[in-house]
Amino acid sequence: MKTFKVLEIKESVFEDNNQRADLLRQELKEKKTFLLNLMSSPGSGKTTTVLRTIEALKDEMNIGILEADIDSDVDAQAVAQTGTKVIQLHTGGMCHLDAEMTRQGIEGLGIEDVDFVILENVGNLVCPAEFDTGACKNAMILSVPEGDDKPLKYPLMFSVVDVLLINKIDTIEYFDFDLEAVKERVMKLNPNIKIIPISAKTGEGLEEWANWIRNEVRKWGE
Amino acid sequence: MHELGIMFNVVRSVENFAKENGITVIDTLVLQIGELSPVIPRFVEACYPAAIDGTMLENTKLEIEVLPGNAICTSCDKVFNLIQCKNECPVCGSREWEVLGGREFLIKEIVAY
Repeated sequence: MKTFKVLEIKESVFEDNNQRADLLRQELKEKKTFLLNLMSSPGSGKTTTVLRTIEALKDEMNIGILEADIDSDVDAQAVAQTGTKVIQLHTGGMCHLDAEMTRQGIEGLGIEDVDFVILENVGNLVCPAEFDTGACKNAMILSVPEGDDKPLKYPLMFSVVDVLLINKIDTIEYFDFDLEAVKERVMKLNPNIKIIPISAKTGEGLEEWANWIRNEVRKWGE
Repeated sequence: MHELGIMFNVVRSVENFAKENGITVIDTLVLQIGELSPVIPRFVEACYPAAIDGTMLENTKLEIEVLPGNAICTSCDKVFNLIQCKNECPVCGSREWEVLGGREFLIKEIVAY
């Protein structure tokens, strides 16, 4: 007869990810590299916003981009054309990035002398909100055509981010999108959030967004 | 469906634990999953064979204990189950509450010999 024994492990799987994320943040702090995790649903204008952000800041800081997608390198190619350092991460079917995958991306990119890295997360408003990537700050994009009810439907995402960009603001007259209602709903979930309406197409609001980044990069490097 | 990627991490953790403790044969893996966690037990069960394929945990059994998603009402202090009560206090009807438990996802234990 076999004798079995029960070995207690009591390890939290998410706690493991949180520890890896904290460790990555510590290393980023030592290297003075500010990592921003950018999340949104597919089609909100993430890549266009990333391209405009590069354009606005590339003359004053060294930028690196991590593009995460389930498959394809369409986004990375678009970024590479700007001459910016970019790495494409394939999550292989996974709907979010965790801290370990982010670390691999950071190592692949190389962050010596890089001041600012944008992690373009997988397009998804659910799972990326649950996993700490190790980023210094979190931002999300909600675009006008998606509708003003999204904070009600995906409350966790709106609760965990530091900045909300409301993109495609130039199209607001064509959609039933109540900007004030969105602000009110989001502030109720997350009173400290910064909300910036932008249009990655026309450039509206991008200066305020760039200023927010400048300020955060400076604070992180101090 | 992100359970497979998460389960790859679980398998890796358990393998490390086994190596550190000199265990060579594992019979059963026991997980605790909270009702409010983003991990769905039936998806974990569905992807388990793929997650353990070719690892030390190949041929192991999986047991899942579900932990209740309970909250305390901030108006009347009633403790209730969020899923059963559809996020609403059954006594006073308030939707303001604090979660007490149910977001966990734990590797509880392994049965080995």
